[in-house]
Amino acid sequence: MQLSRLIVPLMRWLLLAALLASAGAFAAEPLHRQVDSLIAAKAKAAKQPLAAPADDAEFLRRAWFDFNGGIPGPDETRKFLADKSPDKRAKLIQHLTTPPRFAEQLAEAFNIQLMERNGDSDEWKRYLTESFRANKPWDQMTREILSPDFKDEKLRGAGYFITRRLDKVGQQDTDYPGLTRDAGRLFMGVDLQCCQCHKHLTVKDYKQVDFNGLFVAFQNTKLQSAGGDYKTAWVQEGPMTNKYEFISVLSSVKGATGPRVPLGVEVPLPDLAKDEIWAVPPDPKARKAGVPKFSPLKELAARLASPENPLFARNIANRVWWQLMGRGLVEPLDLQHSENPASHPELLDLLAKELTEHKFDLQWLVRELALTHAYQRASLLPAGAQSPPEELFTVAKERPLSAEQLARAFLAATGEHERVVGGKNWESIEGKKHTQKDFEKAFHAAFANAAKEPELNVNPTLRAALFLRNNDLVLWSLQRRKGNLMDRVAAQADAGQVADELYLAILSRSPVAEEKAELAKYLTKHAASREKALGHYAWAMLSSMEFFTNH
Amino acid sequence: MNPLCKPWEHATSRRQFLGASAGALAFGALGGMISPQAAEAMRKKEKQVLFVWLDGGMSQLESWDPKPNTEFGGPFRTIKTSVPGTHFSELMPQCAKQAHRLCVVRNIATKDNAHSSGVARIQRGDPKNRGVAYPFFGSSIAKLMGPTASKLPPYVWVKPGSGGFKTEDAGFLGPKYGSLAFGDGKPPEDLLRHASLTAEEDEERNELRDLLNKRYTAQRRPTYTEASSFVFDTARELMKRQNIFDTSKLPAKELDRYGRTEIGQHMLVARNMLEAGVRFVKVGSYGWDSHGDNFNASASLVPKFDRAFAAIVEDLAVTGLLENTLVIAMSEFGRTPRINGHVGRDHWPEAWSIAMAGCGLKAGAVVGATNDKGTDVKDKGHDIGAVFHTWFKALGIDSKKVEYDNNGQPLPLAHDEMEAIKEALA
Repeated sequence: MQLSRLIVPLMRWLLLAALLASAGAFAAEPLHRQVDSLIAAKAKAAKQPLAAPADDAEFLRRAWFDFNGGIPGPDETRKFLADKSPDKRAKLIQHLTTPPRFAEQLAEAFNIQLMERNGDSDEWKRYLTESFRANKPWDQMTREILSPDFKDEKLRGAGYFITRRLDKVGQQDTDYPGLTRDAGRLFMGVDLQCCQCHKHLTVKDYKQVDFNGLFVAFQNTKLQSAGGDYKTAWVQEGPMTNKYEFISVLSSVKGATGPRVPLGVEVPLPDLAKDEIWAVPPDPKARKAGVPKFSPLKELAARLASPENPLFARNIANRVWWQLMGRGLVEPLDLQHSENPASHPELLDLLAKELTEHKFDLQWLVRELALTHAYQRASLLPAGAQSPPEELFTVAKERPLSAEQLARAFLAATGEHERVVGGKNWESIEGKKHTQKDFEKAFHAAFANAAKEPELNVNPTLRAALFLRNNDLVLWSLQRRKGNLMDRVAAQADAGQVADELYLAILSRSPVAEEKAELAKYLTKHAASREKALGHYAWAMLSSMEFFTNH
Repeated sequence: MNPLCKPWEHATSRRQFLGASAGALAFGALGGMISPQAAEAMRKKEKQVLFVWLDGGMSQLESWDPKPNTEFGGPFRTIKTSVPGTHFSELMPQCAKQAHRLCVVRNIATKDNAHSSGVARIQRGDPKNRGVAYPFFGSSIAKLMGPTASKLPPYVWVKPGSGGFKTEDAGFLGPKYGSLAFGDGKPPEDLLRHASLTAEEDEERNELRDLLNKRYTAQRRPTYTEASSFVFDTARELMKRQNIFDTSKLPAKELDRYGRTEIGQHMLVARNMLEAGVRFVKVGSYGWDSHGDNFNASASLVPKFDRAFAAIVEDLAVTGLLENTLVIAMSEFGRTPRINGHVGRDHWPEAWSIAMAGCGLKAGAVVGATNDKGTDVKDKGHDIGAVFHTWFKALGIDSKKVEYDNNGQPLPLAHDEMEAIKEALA
């Protein structure tokens, strides 16, 4: 009896000490190692083998798409494959995640993710690019987007997130609820759509007040067209002195709220006398906008994009993870709540905490994740694994390539980049001079999702299949022309070298023996029309899944 | 359409609310599903649909439900049809000859008198609002019945103006169930085989692609490669039939019969597509919004429609396809009996007509009636929800039992408090 009284606490203490010691050792490790420990532990518990590391070629192509937005040239691929230094992957990541190109690539990815193909604005894209070039912290960017300064030349582009969504479409009402929903989804990972009229019926955490707390701040704005001090469309914020009242259509229970962070704090409304509401009173005669003393958007943005708001960090950590791994730790991306835990809860906690401590430095997080084994795993299933659960991250998932990435890769692969994008080497070439814009437009029409349809998965469509089969630009790129891929391979007599050239240029890898033999056989069969046959072979490679996914 | 719930449109039963939240969850949706057995059973019958959409609002008084010699009747006379006792406007001599094949419902009473909302509302069947955008009828059939054995895309839209892949009709089913639109009756860009390729070359390079894909996917998850093969196969089926889609090759004699008009040519393309096995063909015609000069407009428009519509009904009947093809001609509403100051007729959802024919319907029938002046329906009219139930029933789909599965939550196919129009069904 007495003994056990002593022993039990002692054992507890020992256990605690052991835990603390391991935690201490754990914490000293860089983030990417901690990530891999957590992934490996869970895979082991589920008795799922981890896929082998991606081979150098697969890794190289993946890293290029993710951090550069295109594919490496044949020479770069050769050089990387031949490099024997053990830290060549880390060096490549360091090299590729350096602005300016990396900043442009991040801007492109965030433009697609935040606007979901709903409109296009150079000013907005410039804002994103400049922000990533300066490695602006994500919380600051979020504040600039949700509470835009339309007078600042450098910041006004950020306002497009709001102004585009408030654009009138036909005779429909201004879509304040849609803007509210998107802000919740994209910046906090909570889709509050259902809570406009009543509490969420399947998600306990989402209350009507959560929707309306965001909604009230957006509904307090009015879209204005460019003019006067404003070079872009902008929004006029009105004063707010009272809480917004709402009623549940289910229970008829009433509620009221000021601006409020979903599942978080409410912004207290200031107690301003009527004549104190305006910092600058509006002047309708001079058509001058007023500036209210109290800006609900600014106050809300400050509290939403803050270390104090746990969902803010979790959302962006989850989205960056999705961007690099093809699947969020929490799925769907915009349904974070207590009853929908992450596949690896400790991992998401860890990413969110570390990202917050690193002052929301997204580029640091991207680099850390790129260094993980999880990111660098092969997309080939490990032997014996039939259909490993995606949420274990034991195998690299095939990811969609954006229309922009595809256009870039297509031009690079076919060797038409310099001509089309650079405008060079057009001498003595007949026919229309195709431009980068032509290609971007055509690839966008064929591969981008419809507006407001998030691009989350590989999505083969009939439209894209017809485009690849019959489009002029596609087939134009596969005609022999001075200096392009078809020119290079047509000049090559040896079938083995033709295979090397084609596979390196298009798929960024060397062909295996079987592939070389296949091509040789095919060329023998079509010896009479070799040039045309080469075009067909290249077409088959360019329209294959290996080319059209990020794997 | 604002996809968000509107409080005043909310229903009250618990099940319906489950439906509403389901719709909301279906963001980037997986789309609805019915049981595979049901889908298979439906496919075996190879039912098809021709849906003629007269955008802007055809006047029922100058077509299916004339009221000659009355206050609002207008200047046109009526003519006898092939069904004793049934009269159409004299602007429809050809349809009059096909009346024994038609089923005209004259007591349609719907709720929306604006184009902007009405067009979508009517084509979605105006079900109870559950916070989701319902699919148009064509997307619904594409989902419920899929392609026919022809493997051609299930939903094709022949229309004036732009073509391409139109996803907006699909609502919560997802863009996959949108339509393939033939703008100005022409095939969408890239549908026809590229001029630089022979059919053999095209086949061979495709086989190469299959080979590469097969090797690539051997040790990977098959999902995406399978999806890719499916769309490439569909593309191949479409391209194989390019003779149907090439409108420059329509025979002159048939063009004369359908009318050398936009709607005539489009209706002929539609007939070819139905014959080739497209599940659902929608033919669009614009310009029916005759607020001014209604009678001259009708005198010009109605005969063009009359000729084209009568020709396709006759052709489908002669080839035997009509038995399994549901044919529909309608607008978003009818037109006011009262003639306005511009000698026009305005929007009138209160009492108008829909013409149908074929599969599952009573032939030679006139269902319901309007009052003597045509200002209102006699007795109880039928809302669009009832019309949707009628169509589903005619196609052998029990819209009271089959439901969409929107990301795990059931949604009714059509307005759950309405019933099919029994008098119209065979």
